[in-house]
Amino acid sequence: MSLARRKLLQLVGLLGVPTVFLLIFFFGPLLIMLVYSFLTPGLYGGVDWIFSHLNYGRILGWADTRYEKFDPVYIAIFLRSLKLAALTVLASLAVCYPAAFWISRMRPGMRDFAIFLVTLPFFVSLIVRLFAWVLILRPTGFLNQGLMGLGLTGGPIEFLYTDFAVILGMTYVFIPFMFLPLYGSIEKLDMAQIEASSDLGATRFQTFRKVILPATLPGIVGGSIITFIPALGNFIVPSVLGGAKVLMIGNLIEQQFLSARNWPFGSALAMLVMSAVLVLLIAQFRLAKKEAQS
Amino acid sequence: MILRRLLSLYGLLFFVFVYAPILLVVIYSFNANTLNMMIWDGFTLDWYRQLFGMETSLTQSATFVDSTDQLWGAVRTSLIVALSTSVFSTVCGTALALAVARYRFRLARFYRTLMMVPMIMPDIVLGIALLIFFITIGMNLSMLTIIIGQSTFLISYVFVTVSARLAEVDTSVEEASADLGATPAQTFRKVTLPGIAPGILGGWLLAFIISMDDLVITYFIAGTGNTTLPIHIWGLLRRGIKPEINAIATLMLLFTLVIAAAGLYFRSRRQK
Repeated sequence: MSLARRKLLQLVGLLGVPTVFLLIFFFGPLLIMLVYSFLTPGLYGGVDWIFSHLNYGRILGWADTRYEKFDPVYIAIFLRSLKLAALTVLASLAVCYPAAFWISRMRPGMRDFAIFLVTLPFFVSLIVRLFAWVLILRPTGFLNQGLMGLGLTGGPIEFLYTDFAVILGMTYVFIPFMFLPLYGSIEKLDMAQIEASSDLGATRFQTFRKVILPATLPGIVGGSIITFIPALGNFIVPSVLGGAKVLMIGNLIEQQFLSARNWPFGSALAMLVMSAVLVLLIAQFRLAKKEAQS
Repeated sequence: MILRRLLSLYGLLFFVFVYAPILLVVIYSFNANTLNMMIWDGFTLDWYRQLFGMETSLTQSATFVDSTDQLWGAVRTSLIVALSTSVFSTVCGTALALAVARYRFRLARFYRTLMMVPMIMPDIVLGIALLIFFITIGMNLSMLTIIIGQSTFLISYVFVTVSARLAEVDTSVEEASADLGATPAQTFRKVTLPGIAPGILGGWLLAFIISMDDLVITYFIAGTGNTTLPIHIWGLLRRGIKPEINAIATLMLLFTLVIAAAGLYFRSRRQK
């Protein structure tokens, strides 16, 4: 057997099983979901294999026949999810940016330990971390006990089951997602440039805006995108901390699959989430390419 | 100077924000108060004794009905799933990483990009897509479907971890081994594998932890009768907030910390 032939066989041996597995069980399901989003829901759950674009029409506004009614509520829920995810990104930035800056100025040994401490909660069960916030935010929880103990409020405030609780919860669970990309670009900051800027008479704010911010922009964009994506489609956080009042697109999709049993409509909603993610990623890709060129 | 102090204060508050919630759960898992779990009423191990089926002074109403048996069933399911998934994903992820790093072929760059897709796919989308797929091809939802479903994205995590390690390993040693007459199999076993072993181990641990914790994808493809630990706790949360959850959460915390510490230990050994 020739060497080239043997190499080829080795390569096929390494790639074969994983490639076939992913083609069938990763890309296969996504493809079937796409097909389902163009089918007609059956009367009793299931689907009828009849082409229909009304699943999308129901969301975007062109269906008004039979039971496939257009209802602006779906697009409203989608926009609401975009808003909550965007607010989560902003909150994460506010929480993580100064902390990343602080940690980047530590002694090397301390620094590594601090980064370890930030990433450790990522390995703690999501449901455990959310449960902790239920304990804090509920009417008899620690936050209300503290506020009442200080005499700041007379009665308990309802923190749980609000937008605030959902944004807080998502910010909390996605901290490592935002922190690590931010830290990566803050660490590379050139201290000489910052000093030069202040030596030349720039105020602290000017230095931040003109020197620090542009230099750390890649980290800000990267962290924002990988926080935004899981926040947008999230349904665990809103269903634990948001109760029934805070409905996000993720909850709506879950309902279509587990209670309403309208799989084609649920698939169309999922495609909506996926296209939003795709748009984001393409935008980032373009941005990164432009940056590499300049 | 003031700015620096403010920054330090902010940094300390940041760590309080990160750890205080988790710490509260641990502390209150030892709270003896059965009526109001938020008010400290002395130390007890009763919540833990209850989980292990030991005698306690707890009343019926303080605990979830039947939850202990279900809990250990869920732990068993989670462990079986996590072990199978992590081993399968590690084999597949490592094979892909090796192929992309050590062979020259046209699709190598394509594979690198492709392996990012499962990691950025919103989990709810993958969850329902898998559900539709399994139902359409007539596969009953079982532990096997959970294992397959989780592997689709965990392979990527292993791929990334092992690839990072492969990039660090010096290829000249492998070339030297081949020049000195070792067969490719020998070179692989004696040179390449020991070199990337920490990466493989790290990827396996990562896959194991993520699998143990996966809620969304498992939720859609578990079917009835295959409750994993996160799904069990989620169910408990829907039934009500009881101190028992504190104790379960603390034990899970301990478990993940041990695994994370093990991972770290192996990483520090590699650097020596």
